[in-house]
Amino acid sequence: MKEIRERPVSDKAAKDIAPDRLTQLLPERSSERELGWLRLPSGEEIVVAVIVIAFLIGFPWLHPGYRFLSLAITTGFTAIALYGLGLQFGQAGIMSVGHAAFMGIGAYTAGILAGKLGIGFWGALPFSVIFSALFAGLIGLPSLRVSGQHYIIITFCFCALLNIAFTNGGSFTGGATGLDVGSIDPVFGINFDRLLNAYYLIVAALFLCLLITYLLVNSSYGRTLRAVRENEVLARAVGINANVQKISVLMVSGAFAGVAGILQAYYLRHISPTLYGPFPSLYLALMVMLGGSRLLYGPLIGAIIVSFLPEIMHLDPIDSRIAYGICLLVVILLLPGGVSAGLLNLYRRLWSKRR
Amino acid sequence: MAELEITGLRKEFGGVIALAGVDISIPSEKIIGIIGPNGSGKTTLFNVIAGVHKPTSGRVLWRGKDITGRPAHEIARAGLVRTFQQAMSFPGLSVRENVRIACEHGRSHPDGARSKWNSPEEILDFVGLTSLAGEIAGAMPFGNLRRLGIAVALGANPSLLLLDEPAAGLSHHESDDLMELVLRFPKIGIGVCLIDHDMFLMSALCERLVVLNFGTKIAEGPPNRVLNDSKVTEVYLGNEL
Repeated sequence: MKEIRERPVSDKAAKDIAPDRLTQLLPERSSERELGWLRLPSGEEIVVAVIVIAFLIGFPWLHPGYRFLSLAITTGFTAIALYGLGLQFGQAGIMSVGHAAFMGIGAYTAGILAGKLGIGFWGALPFSVIFSALFAGLIGLPSLRVSGQHYIIITFCFCALLNIAFTNGGSFTGGATGLDVGSIDPVFGINFDRLLNAYYLIVAALFLCLLITYLLVNSSYGRTLRAVRENEVLARAVGINANVQKISVLMVSGAFAGVAGILQAYYLRHISPTLYGPFPSLYLALMVMLGGSRLLYGPLIGAIIVSFLPEIMHLDPIDSRIAYGICLLVVILLLPGGVSAGLLNLYRRLWSKRR
Repeated sequence: MAELEITGLRKEFGGVIALAGVDISIPSEKIIGIIGPNGSGKTTLFNVIAGVHKPTSGRVLWRGKDITGRPAHEIARAGLVRTFQQAMSFPGLSVRENVRIACEHGRSHPDGARSKWNSPEEILDFVGLTSLAGEIAGAMPFGNLRRLGIAVALGANPSLLLLDEPAAGLSHHESDDLMELVLRFPKIGIGVCLIDHDMFLMSALCERLVVLNFGTKIAEGPPNRVLNDSKVTEVYLGNEL
């Protein structure tokens, strides 16, 4: 009689990865200092955070012009969605190529609430977040049964289906033309119709999102997600309810996308189904892989590269797609942890040489 | 008193009967061995007890509570923790993080038995991995990975450990070290149920042996009696002509 064995185990695959590549994927932590449940940032991390914050706040002083400032705003809300995707892919190992769908849920929630009930940005924001999270949780249910590329196909299908639903929703979703939304209601007399104010609103949202991501990744919640990513069978065997963890991270990720979606809707003032189709979704996946999903600034770097590259190099849309493809290949082959991990390794190498 | 009471446990995979109604009771704070030829249902027994597979019929009682077919994480949190035949770890995480994850999710302190250890470091010290705490688990050699597997299981604060071939693939020296470790468990109040093929080792370690063959229990008792049992020798060595 043949012995019945359990499913092939994921750590066999991990053993095939050379140790140096493993450390490249997972640059060791520079700090192990902790306060209760939270890992505290190291001195280096604080320096980088200050630089990033200073750059984002100071960006308008570089006189970027109207075009670059609006591109920066687009990059900002895309990055917010990417932080959700980065969390689910980088920490829990669940990739999605239909992530724009959840931005769409957020945007359309805002659009429908504005059009039908006259609810503005601030009133619609919680609804966008909740609906996106709920849909993400619902679409995540198959992830309990299938994983890896099989689940990726499901996310792609959902995105395509939702696109059809948006296009054929009649007056409810505005059909192929989409919906108009108003402008964001002023708060404390700040008028967000001014591009500069809109920029700072996005930067504030991005800071909040970076902070939440840091807290989630460096707490026991992040550790639990990594455990599920690394070895689900073992995670269950030590008492982790892997199903709950997976759905929870997908819902958190959906909530981020919801925020990004409503910000996008109110920035563009008009939403249409094509914004949330499979193509924008693939771009999100591309950005998160280019930037790297496991380090805090990975998604931001990915968003900046993909948004600004064609602009700086004066590429037309077709050329830029070719450029993205080449970038993705180069990153997958040479920098498996993304550009962010590559930069970190470069920094470490230079630093250790100097000492 | 029997802590783990298994009655009439049966598991079929399609037409294959992996367990054909097994009754075993496992007391705590002792070392019980399960032996049997390949395909006799040892690992399936562990998988069914630990909630990886649902049994076709039969009952598993853990401290008087019916845990038959409960999900794996609930069983682990109840203090019944298993290790795996293939040295399992969270390969991309550090050794310390591996153990810490188990500490954070295993049986919690309020429900009675406090953990014997206060921190992952103490567990690493107990299994002798302190010097490797910062290593990435997946980059470690096999012997250390086995040790880590046990450390992770200990992190979940078990009162009964199900060890599935902990010495498989280890050198003589490594397996001696490992067995010395296993011998320390009953002294600190952790019962052990052990699967292994090394008869010499099993009879040295275990107070009682259970022999499985084709999913049925064919013998049970102290090692010297079981290993001289005619049915057992027949299973392992074949019939006399």
